[in-house]
Amino acid sequence: MSEFAVDVQGVGKRFRRHTDRRNSLKERIVRGRARNPEDFWAVRDVTLQIPKGSVYGLIGHNGSGKSTLLKMIGGIYRATEGTIATDGRVAALIELGAGFHPDMTGRENIALNGSILGLPRKEILAVTDEIIDFSGLGDFINDPVKHYSSGMYVRLGFSVAVHMKPDVLLVDEVLAVGDEEFQRKCFDHLYSLRRAGKTIIVVSHGLGQLEGLCDEIAWLERGEMQEHGPAVETIAAYLRKVNADEAARNPMVSAVRGIDDDGARAGDQSVQVTRADVVDGNGTPITHAETGTTFTISLGITVPEAILGPNVRVALQHDSGTLVSMPNNHRWGIDFGTIQGEHTVRFAFVDNPLLPGRYRVHVDVFDYTGSRLLDSWNDAVEFAIRSPRGEIGQGLVELPVEITFE
Amino acid sequence: MLTDLYSQRALIWAFANRDFATRYRSSILGWAWSLIQPLATLIVFAAVFSVVFRIQAPPLGNGEGSSYAAFLFTGLVTWNLFAGLLNLSMTQLKSNGELLKKVQFPAWAPILGASIVQLVQVLLELLVLVLMLLFLRNVGWTWILAIPILLGTMLFAQGVGLMLSILNARFGDVMYIVAVVLGALYFLTPVLYPVSMIEGQNELLAWVIRLNPMTWYVEGMHESMYSLVAPPLWAVASLLVGGFAVFWIGLAVFDRGSEDIGELL
Repeated sequence: MSEFAVDVQGVGKRFRRHTDRRNSLKERIVRGRARNPEDFWAVRDVTLQIPKGSVYGLIGHNGSGKSTLLKMIGGIYRATEGTIATDGRVAALIELGAGFHPDMTGRENIALNGSILGLPRKEILAVTDEIIDFSGLGDFINDPVKHYSSGMYVRLGFSVAVHMKPDVLLVDEVLAVGDEEFQRKCFDHLYSLRRAGKTIIVVSHGLGQLEGLCDEIAWLERGEMQEHGPAVETIAAYLRKVNADEAARNPMVSAVRGIDDDGARAGDQSVQVTRADVVDGNGTPITHAETGTTFTISLGITVPEAILGPNVRVALQHDSGTLVSMPNNHRWGIDFGTIQGEHTVRFAFVDNPLLPGRYRVHVDVFDYTGSRLLDSWNDAVEFAIRSPRGEIGQGLVELPVEITFE
Repeated sequence: MLTDLYSQRALIWAFANRDFATRYRSSILGWAWSLIQPLATLIVFAAVFSVVFRIQAPPLGNGEGSSYAAFLFTGLVTWNLFAGLLNLSMTQLKSNGELLKKVQFPAWAPILGASIVQLVQVLLELLVLVLMLLFLRNVGWTWILAIPILLGTMLFAQGVGLMLSILNARFGDVMYIVAVVLGALYFLTPVLYPVSMIEGQNELLAWVIRLNPMTWYVEGMHESMYSLVAPPLWAVASLLVGGFAVFWIGLAVFDRGSEDIGELL
C-alpha cells in the first residue's frame, strides 16, 4: 500500500489520426502497415502523484489531454509510454448511464450497470434502494429507461456510479447534471466520499467549482503538464495565461478590459480607474482570501480636472453570474469632496462572509449626481474565496447566525 | 485466463440476463420465434431436398426405415449451434462499443453473455430433436455421446467467434467475408446430405468435406443421435479436447487483441 491512490510516472499516449485509420482490409493491404505519418501525442511525459483521500482536479483547454489522461487512469486507454499505478478499485464517471439498455427498466439497469462497474451482486442488491432513493426517480424506476427524460437518465447514472463504493472515483465533466437540487446532492455526496477517505479526480471547466472542491489541481496544455499544485495557485496561473492569450488574440477586448487604452472604455473618462487590486491587511496583492478574513479592493483613480465628489461603485459577481453585493461610497455616506489628481479608494470587506467560489469585480464611477457614467471597467479584477472547511454548494454568503437549542 | 472467466461469472451472467430480457421484448410471440424459425427452415428444406432433389437419408438406428427430416434436423441443430455462436460473437464488440469506450471491464464478458442466451435457443431446438426421435422410437444409449460432442462444438465455435470478433473490430470487412465463407461451408458440411452420397461420386469433393472440422462434429451427432452408432471414444474425446483447445487459443488471442479495445471501436 502506498500513500498515493494514483501514481502516474512519465505517461504518454500516442494516437493515430482518424483520417489515416486503416479499418478495412483493403486499405491495410494496399497501403501497408508501416505508414503512420500523422501520429500525435495527446498526452506526453506527465508525472502526477495523487495522495489518498484527496480531491484532484485536471484543467486545460479542450484537447489538452485531460480526458485522455483520465481514461488512462481508468484503464480504458493503455498508456503508450510510462506507468500508471492505482491503489484500490477505480470507478469512472466518464459518461453517465453508459451501458444502460433502453429496453430495460431503471431497476434492471442498476443491476446490470453495477455488475459492469464491478460490484458483487450481493452488494448491488444492498445498495439498490439507496440508489433509487438518491436518484429521486420514485415509481419511474420500474419503467424502461428509453422513456426517461435526459435529466432522469443522468440522475440514475450518477446515482449508480457514486454508490459503487470506489476507492478512486474519476469524474469527467459530469458535475453539471440535473437541476440545482440534484447538483447540490451530488456535491454533498462527493464531499461525503472525500470525508470517507476516497480519492476523487475531477476534469472540469468549472474553475469556480473546482476551486472549492479540489485540494490540488494539474493544468495540462497540449498534452503536457504546465503546472500542478494547490488548487488556487494553479487556477490563478491558468487564468493569467488565458487572459494573456485572449489579450494577444483580440486587442479590442483587451482594450475594453485593460487599463492602458482609456479611449475604448465606457464613460466620459473625466475620472479614470487606473488600477484594481485585491489586497490583504498589509496591502499585499492576493489572489484568494479565506471566508471570515478581511480583504480590501484597492482602486487607483486619476482625476485630470477637479470634479465634485464622484460615486465609485464596486460590484462583486459570483462565477455563477449572481451579483452578490454592490457597495458604493454615496450609499455609505462617504463624500470625497472636490478632488483632482491621483487617489486611492479602498473597499475593505471586514470579516468577509463570502463562501468558496470565484468572484469578479466590476468598477463603475458616476458623477456627483449619479446620472453620468465617468468610467466603467468590467472584470477589473477577480479573486477566489476558499474555506478551510470546504463548504461548496452551501450558498454564497455565511450570514451571522445564532443557533439555539432547548 | 480461465480463472478470470470464473471470477467474472457475475458479469457474464449480468450480460446474459440483459440479452435474455431484451431479446424478444418488443415482439408478440417472443421466445416462440426461437422455435418457429428453425422449424420453418426444417419444413422448407425437408420438402425441397427430400421431395425435389430426392436425397435419401441413411437408415435410422432402430432399423425401421429412414427419416430425412430427423437426419436433417440433427445436422441443423449442430450447425445452428456453430453458426449462431459465431455470428453473435462477431457483432458483440461493436454493439457494446459505447460501453467499452467508457468503462473498463473484460471485453469477452458481453460476448460470453450473449452466447449463453444463444445456448438457450440451441437447447430448445435440441428438445424438439429429442421429441422427434422419441416419436420415431429411435432411442439409444449412444445419445449420451451427443453431450461431449455438442460441448466440443460449442467450445470450437466460441473460440473461432472470439478470434473473429477481435478481427472484426479492427477490420470491418471481416463480417462480410465470414458471411460468404459460412455460406460456402454450410454446403461443405453434411447437413443436407449424407457424406456417403458424395463418396464414390466425386473423390476430391469428399476429401474437402472430410477436411472440414464441422463435418466431424455433425457426423458425430449423426452417428450418436440418428444412427445410434457409437463413434470410437478417442474420436469423441478429440472432438471435445479439440474444441477446448480452439476455445483456449481464441481466448488468448482475444486477450491480446482487446488490450486497446477502448480505442479501436
